[in-house]
Amino acid sequence: MATQSETAFGSVSRVKGTVFKYLAFAASLAGILALAVLLAYVAWDALGLETAGTSWYLSYTVTLLVPLLGFSAYARRRPEVTAGAFELVAMTLGGVMLTVATVILLLVIAGPAVWLTAFVFVVGPVLGLYVYGQYNREATWVGIAMLMFLVVGPFAAWFLFPFVALAAALVGGPGVYFLSLVVPAAGMAFYLASQRLDLSRRASLGIAAGLPVLAIAGVPVVDTIPQIARSVWLTILVMFGIPVGFTAVNTAKQRERWAAFALPAILVGGFLVGEALVGALGATQPQAWLDWQYLTSPPSTFDAEAAGLYPAIIGSVFLIALVSVFTFVFGVGTALYLEEYAPSSGPLGTLTRLVNVNISNLAGVPSVVYGLLGLGIFVNVQANLGPLSYGGFGVGTVLTGALTLSLLILPIVVISAQEAIRSVPDSLRQASYGMGATRWQTIRNVVLPRSLPGILTGTILALGRAIGETAPLLVIGAATTKFSPPGGLFGKLTAMPMQIYAWAFLPQDDFRYGVLAAGVVTLLIVLLSMNSVAILVRNKYQQEAY
Amino acid sequence: MSNEGQTPDLSGDRGFRTVRESTYKYALATCAVLSVLTTVGIIAVLVLDAVEFFSVIPPLDFLTGTTFSPSREPVSFGVLPLVLGTMLITLGAGVIALPIGLLTAIYLSEYASARTRSVLKPMLEVLAGVPTVVYGYFAIVYITPALNTVIGGINGTLGTQFPTLGLFNGLSASIVVAIMIIPMVSSISEDAMSSVPDSLRQAGYGLGATKFNVSLRVVVPAAVSGIASSFILAISRAIGETMAVVIAAGTQPPDIPPVETAFGIIPYMSPGALLSLYSESAATMTVAIVNISGSDIAGGSTAYQSLFAIGLTLFAITLVMNVVSDLIASRYREEYE
Repeated sequence: MATQSETAFGSVSRVKGTVFKYLAFAASLAGILALAVLLAYVAWDALGLETAGTSWYLSYTVTLLVPLLGFSAYARRRPEVTAGAFELVAMTLGGVMLTVATVILLLVIAGPAVWLTAFVFVVGPVLGLYVYGQYNREATWVGIAMLMFLVVGPFAAWFLFPFVALAAALVGGPGVYFLSLVVPAAGMAFYLASQRLDLSRRASLGIAAGLPVLAIAGVPVVDTIPQIARSVWLTILVMFGIPVGFTAVNTAKQRERWAAFALPAILVGGFLVGEALVGALGATQPQAWLDWQYLTSPPSTFDAEAAGLYPAIIGSVFLIALVSVFTFVFGVGTALYLEEYAPSSGPLGTLTRLVNVNISNLAGVPSVVYGLLGLGIFVNVQANLGPLSYGGFGVGTVLTGALTLSLLILPIVVISAQEAIRSVPDSLRQASYGMGATRWQTIRNVVLPRSLPGILTGTILALGRAIGETAPLLVIGAATTKFSPPGGLFGKLTAMPMQIYAWAFLPQDDFRYGVLAAGVVTLLIVLLSMNSVAILVRNKYQQEAY
Repeated sequence: MSNEGQTPDLSGDRGFRTVRESTYKYALATCAVLSVLTTVGIIAVLVLDAVEFFSVIPPLDFLTGTTFSPSREPVSFGVLPLVLGTMLITLGAGVIALPIGLLTAIYLSEYASARTRSVLKPMLEVLAGVPTVVYGYFAIVYITPALNTVIGGINGTLGTQFPTLGLFNGLSASIVVAIMIIPMVSSISEDAMSSVPDSLRQAGYGLGATKFNVSLRVVVPAAVSGIASSFILAISRAIGETMAVVIAAGTQPPDIPPVETAFGIIPYMSPGALLSLYSESAATMTVAIVNISGSDIAGGSTAYQSLFAIGLTLFAITLVMNVVSDLIASRYREEYE
């Protein structure tokens, strides 16, 4: 360097750097673009868009696409509007999924009698105690009492089931769901309106009273629609109406977010106007594979027109419901113990570190090995301990599948819950201890409320992994094609990815480019809804965190 | 509590409180024990059945056997074809995904604006979030026909003799596995590069280096242990990948090409023969597990126990890779923080 004193700065070629920059940019886009193209193909096939006429495309371009582009151009520079619109859409998607899941769990799988029993002995008391504990903070026995009901309730339910079933038959299906869903939901609506939306007491009471009135008033209207039974209507009102209504009112309260309502208006209005226009022009409609018939028919391996995904959808919801209960309880429990109780120094601290390393390694074990674990401890096992004998839960049953999937995603749930708990500032804990709170009181009143959004986000994302998982289910011996949904915990399981796997080897074009594509799109829509709800929870959390 | 008189009751309701505190503590500890039990369960289940398997089939025959046919007579349980299948898929996916992932990480950490990064990173995560069975479907229905069109085009214009791909082939499986492991490489490598201290970059610029030089000669070497750890994790994920490979690469293990010798002493396999294996079915260890458990075999039979022997091999390989990756990453952390 020192010898270059004579010359000016040499020129440095920028070509190499520029080429490298664009090469790196292209590499970043490679995977994303590949997936985008594949997704476009599968959506195109599932909706049968190639069969649509030109005027169909023109109509929807004018009524839907152009307004949507206009809206996104408008919202680009307004983050408040974008956030509001995302919230509305995500809550609507989440509400639809919640409604479908509730209808399947409470109406199709459980039925009024079983659900009423569960409600009377477990769900109802636990909810009631929780609400009481929130109002009366001095009642320290509430937590233990809830634990008691969770443990003892199922036994009581087991013995007293015939009596409750009789009562359920007397009240009738819709009556059961009115008492167990609409009435508690009215209380929930009152809480949301008065505490979260800061509405006046009178308005909140009006909303709470309006919900049951609306439920009953809607019955004559619903009776005219054959697809919607009365019980389904009540579920829709509660599970779709409350979250969407809450988000809508919340958005309406913020002036700068009013424009966000344009997005749902454009989507709904665009479809209605587009439909009318297509009808008026007599345009050729696309022959979509993914339609109502597809969602409500049993699968078929030879008749593509009649094939459907109904049992697989029911099976997936059943599995995910069980998995979410198992993993949430054990995952959060493990994370709380490791972060709040387990010693971090000394010989026991080494043990804690070992357990942490162990959990992160469990997260890296291939899913098919978890299938072998399930096969070994839930299926082909015979243990006799005196009077108790354990012979597993059967080949390919719902319970076996749910337990196997739970073990699979438990490490992921634990790790994300640990991160959420760790992000609670220590000063908050110290403040709580300083005021004389015990460890559990600190966890209950400080740590859990702060970390719950993070825990929920991680759990939902992990459940998304479980819903697409196939290999462990194949290994525990689940049937790939089933023509009826599972009847109970010990019924043979089926799931959406299993059905997709079964169809993947059929050579007919109608299956390859039709039925199968529709299945893939259904699975992806469910995943998309779950993930957008998770992102919504996380965004809210990041706003409130400091 | 507030109107309890002059002397504060410091003892409180100690008895009940102690009971409550320890109830919660032990309830939570029970949950934590479950994770340890899972590990013990995995190892016990795998080892117990694998030991019985190895008492029938000697471990040496299992590890060096060159044919794998668990259900067709004469049965033989040589794991080498499955290992070859796994290596083919993993190598193929690695060759595609590791450079792309590394370039992505460099772009995200060194070149991208904050806004671009906030858009690209979640989109990359989506790649890992799509269910693997869906990737398998993509491979068999869209990618294989597309590749055949491309190969036909190349053969037509250049007059080469590339073999066309079968319905099940290793190439399409490698491509989809590569797509799904890209985010693993890019996110971990990017974390490592972002935590390289800025002073190193500034020193590079101060010496007159261009951004290109700083990125490749300063940041990448400084973050090399993080990058290596991400590579190992991604490869371990590719080894354990199941559904995409079952659907795209089929259930037939590849034929091991004949071993030739160079200069009379050095054994080798012809690269052409190895490459042509990508056009055919290439079942991996994971595929064999799914395949055997899907066929009608009784619990306790040798075929059933072979599941656990293969599972144990797979578990051992991935566990070692994860631990090595952890070790490399933790060494790195000590260096810079």
